[in-house]
Amino acid sequence: MSTVDIELRKVRKVYFKDRLEIPVLEGLDLTIAAGEFVVLMGPSGSGKSTLLHLIGGLDSATGGSVRVGDAHLEKMSERERTAWRSRHVGFIFQMYHLVPVLTAAQNVELPLLLFSMSSSQRKERVRTALEVVGLSDRADHRPNQLSGGQEQRVAIARAIVTDPDVILADEPTGDLDAKTSEEILELLNLLNSEFGKTILMVTHDPRAASHGQRTVHLDKGVLDREELNPARPRGAAAMVS
Amino acid sequence: MALPLTYNFRNLLVRRLSTSLTFFVVTVVVAVLCVLLSFAAGIRASLRASGWPQNVLVLKTGATAESTSIIYPDEAGRIVQTPGIATDSSGQLLLSPELCVQTSVPRIGPDGTPANVAIRGVDRVAFDVHPEVKLIEGRLFEDGAQEVIVGVQARDRYQNLHVGGEVMLGRSTNRVFKVVGVFEAAGGALESEIWSGRTMIADAHNFRFVSSIAVRLEDPARAEEAIRYIKGPAVRMNARTEVDYYDDLSTKTRQIVLLTSILIGIMSVGAIFAVANTMYASVDSRRREIAMLRTIGFSRRSIVTSFLVESLLITLTACLVGIAVSLSVDGSRQDFLSDTTWTVLAYELRVTPEIILSALGLSTLVGLFGGLAPAVRASRTRIIEALRKA
Repeated sequence: MSTVDIELRKVRKVYFKDRLEIPVLEGLDLTIAAGEFVVLMGPSGSGKSTLLHLIGGLDSATGGSVRVGDAHLEKMSERERTAWRSRHVGFIFQMYHLVPVLTAAQNVELPLLLFSMSSSQRKERVRTALEVVGLSDRADHRPNQLSGGQEQRVAIARAIVTDPDVILADEPTGDLDAKTSEEILELLNLLNSEFGKTILMVTHDPRAASHGQRTVHLDKGVLDREELNPARPRGAAAMVS
Repeated sequence: MALPLTYNFRNLLVRRLSTSLTFFVVTVVVAVLCVLLSFAAGIRASLRASGWPQNVLVLKTGATAESTSIIYPDEAGRIVQTPGIATDSSGQLLLSPELCVQTSVPRIGPDGTPANVAIRGVDRVAFDVHPEVKLIEGRLFEDGAQEVIVGVQARDRYQNLHVGGEVMLGRSTNRVFKVVGVFEAAGGALESEIWSGRTMIADAHNFRFVSSIAVRLEDPARAEEAIRYIKGPAVRMNARTEVDYYDDLSTKTRQIVLLTSILIGIMSVGAIFAVANTMYASVDSRRREIAMLRTIGFSRRSIVTSFLVESLLITLTACLVGIAVSLSVDGSRQDFLSDTTWTVLAYELRVTPEIILSALGLSTLVGLFGGLAPAVRASRTRIIEALRKA
């Protein structure tokens, strides 16, 4: 089990459209402790997903610094960030993004293909990941043979199979019904509490937010406010800056 | 590590129609390439098997083929001083005066269309000058008898040329010659000919000349010296090694190869567009999938490789099918009319290892050229944009 903290200092992100400067994040400071489950909320365009992309190394900040564990992402090239992502970050998307032509097990195995690992080792890791998400009996099913909730579970298994330090979830329950959403959120709770994963989840749903230990509200690219969730106190490892 | 092949294979099956059409186009290109080149290879193989490097073929100055060469006896006599001529065990010079004429013989088959078959009148010494000629059935013609022996290719392609059969020869095509034997000649052009005694052929056509003189030398290294002598003032005739002579006759194959190259070049451009079209469609419909792969850590290079593997899977599998189709004509017999001798040469279509390698090379190039631009486009997918479009 490995966890890392996340630290953002004066992060700016500006997009350009038709030579127009569109600021998305403006001098944002945020610290997430190792093993913490943080929920990001805010209206559309507030910069939630952009923040998630910066922490995941999918995009680079216009200014400021983004540190995840020992990795200073603002100093890394696109190629270095790609290699870093494969080892340190697990992504969960709203639309699951499973490869339709591959089975559940093959989808989960995809990130492991980037590791020097024997086929039997990969199979073992895939089996364990599917067991954690409760889908051992669906390993040979294709995505179109699974329900939405099951597809998201496969996506979660794919995100954790490499044992990443951080899990970034972008509205993971946005496309699911209430009951299935609850199951997925319980699973994320499990990954946080039992496996100590640092989780950053973007959501619009206040019920989903109630599963986090802390909720960070963004508005117009800046930190609006923070709320601690008394129902889910942080462990000793989780410290707020 | 690259993405697994099953990923590429199954993705191709997702777009069955466009994949099948592209597959069909590449299969046709490869099959056409192999069949056309097999014509050239068959003719070339037949002509390459003809002739010896130590045999010098003497023709009349200005003549390019035996059919247009006339050498009178006094001219033929000047050859004997040529340096380096081999002799047989009895000391006789290995000089073979040969008279080449043609006759029309119907082909075997329902149409029975006639073909111009080469008739070669030879003396006994011809079998020492052309040691590859071996009787495989029947016997040799007898001197003074209206008898012929036929090459194995001629027997198999033309009517009534089996042992015991008959063929009409002569200036008025009114003399009946009996087939008494069948010979082979190491697969060379002579196997398409009919041989008889030179005096009998000359008499039947009322000719008092020969077409050529085949000179066998002691050593191929002396060919240049002998040719120089024959072309020189002492003889003043045209001379080439048999190998060069038959190589010149194979000009036709070079034309076939050239035309094939042009045709296949045009078809390949079409195939490249077909592959590119299929792969572009594939990339466009998989942008989110590509973005996901990039997100979880696959590099641009591995995306490019994966899409190239996919296009190569189409073209190389199609190539194998195209080769299999072309192999169905391998060994089938054809003939072509030489525009030099105006006689028909029988040969077998040959799908050689070189042709198969050419087909594999072409398919690889079509796969790479057709797949490269779409693969690069795939690798440049904007991750965040593609994920947002979900």
